[in-house]
Amino acid sequence: MPQAFAPEQTTTPSAPGGAAPLIAFHDVCLTIAGNEILRDISFEISRGEFVCVVGPSGCGKTTTLRLISGLMHPSSGQVTFEGRPVTGPRQDVAIMFQDYGRALLPWRTAAGNVSLALESLGVPRSERADRIQDLLVKVGLKGQDKRFPNQLSGGMQQRLQIARCLAQNPSVLLMDEPFGALDAMTRQALQDEVLSIVAATGATVFFVTHDLEEAVYLGDRVIGLLPHPGRVAKTVSVDLPRPRDQLSSRETPQFLHLRRELFDFIKEAEA
Amino acid sequence: MTGWRWFWRLASFVVGVGFIYGWQMIADAKLISPVFLPGPDRAWAALLRGFHSGILEPKLVGTVQRMIIGWLLASLLGIALGTMIGVSPRARKIFGPTLEFLRPLPSSAIIPLAIALFGLSEGMVLGVIGFGALWPMLLSTVHGFGAVEPRLYEVSRALGMSKLSVIWKIALPSSMPDILAGMRLGLTVSLILAVVGEMLTGRDGLGNWILLAARSFRAPDLYAGVILLGLLGYVSAQALAWVESRLLRWRAVAR
Repeated sequence: MPQAFAPEQTTTPSAPGGAAPLIAFHDVCLTIAGNEILRDISFEISRGEFVCVVGPSGCGKTTTLRLISGLMHPSSGQVTFEGRPVTGPRQDVAIMFQDYGRALLPWRTAAGNVSLALESLGVPRSERADRIQDLLVKVGLKGQDKRFPNQLSGGMQQRLQIARCLAQNPSVLLMDEPFGALDAMTRQALQDEVLSIVAATGATVFFVTHDLEEAVYLGDRVIGLLPHPGRVAKTVSVDLPRPRDQLSSRETPQFLHLRRELFDFIKEAEA
Repeated sequence: MTGWRWFWRLASFVVGVGFIYGWQMIADAKLISPVFLPGPDRAWAALLRGFHSGILEPKLVGTVQRMIIGWLLASLLGIALGTMIGVSPRARKIFGPTLEFLRPLPSSAIIPLAIALFGLSEGMVLGVIGFGALWPMLLSTVHGFGAVEPRLYEVSRALGMSKLSVIWKIALPSSMPDILAGMRLGLTVSLILAVVGEMLTGRDGLGNWILLAARSFRAPDLYAGVILLGLLGYVSAQALAWVESRLLRWRAVAR
């Protein structure tokens, strides 16, 4: 993937000296109906960083993503975006859901689904058709524009969701186990596409997954959460060089070491 | 499987022909007095005669107009009211029980009220059709809004869509299958009430024609009117089914 070179991708996980973080959690707690979901979550995400979140089920991975998106709000503490508290969804923050079957409009064609984002952004009708074609080509859905979501495979539906997210020209991509329901080959292909898209756009990514290898392969940094209540228990920096390769990156000693470290962490958590 | 499809189509055709044939046999055997039961031959002749003489056409037009205007009235009102109630879960809870009480109320029960309000006028007939056909549309719209995939509302929030475009682009299309089912029911109700209204008010139409034919023992004319109403119901249902298959094309495509 030669086009995947981009200066943003070489930034180290820790924020460059002095620069304010793009997203920050300050002692975030969340209690819903007496259930403590999250306790004292604090971490920062720099601009252009690719942060993956792992942890056993029920640890609040998706909840942290929803707090960043503004679809949910903390009970106490603060989530900030560019230094200001998050009050609600922003148009430059795109969310990609795991359940593509529900997140796409079944009555709109592939082109129509991408168009939804453009319409919401107020893109004039005359410009939409070209942008839609560009986006569909970019995610590998060339020629599928007139098909409905239920005519597309799971992988293609997820590509369509990527296209809709990209239509927002997002500075931040929030991805909630986007490839969890896909087969291994499709998943790897989409992982590489996300990496090259991110490299090309310089977007910041917050990526929730239960696949530890995926987290290491994609991320600049992996945050491990523990459940009952959800809290940050581990943070590892991934210093694998970019662009990454499905075969060679996964065979490096660092990769195997990080995978082992996270594996032990999860095993300990579930013991 | 096209072979089977042709078989079933043929079978349905045989049943239809058998029905007409049986009717003819019973009429020819005079099992029932021809004064009350003409054969299909005489009914058909009466139908042709009615059109040739130009008597039947304005009556058909009158009934069709009443049915369609009343139905459109009810559709617009039903979908608009249904949308207003449907968008808010709270409104659904508040209005739901009252609507469920009003729905099974037979529309014929409000005819006396409508006569008192509007007299034996065109407006009264349209009012009754509108009232009767409103409920299936209203309730199916409310139901459709309640069944919208919650994830899509999150998508709309993430995209920063306005309340109005959420209704227009997400809730209404998502409810379309329910709404169309309601409109189909409403169409049947409209035809029934158009005929009943004509019978009661004497406005020119097929209902009135049938009633007068029966009273003056013109049995073939009566049957001609009934056949025409049957055809009207069939054609309008088919037309709506066609519209439905166009609007809901996304559901029919291969899964």
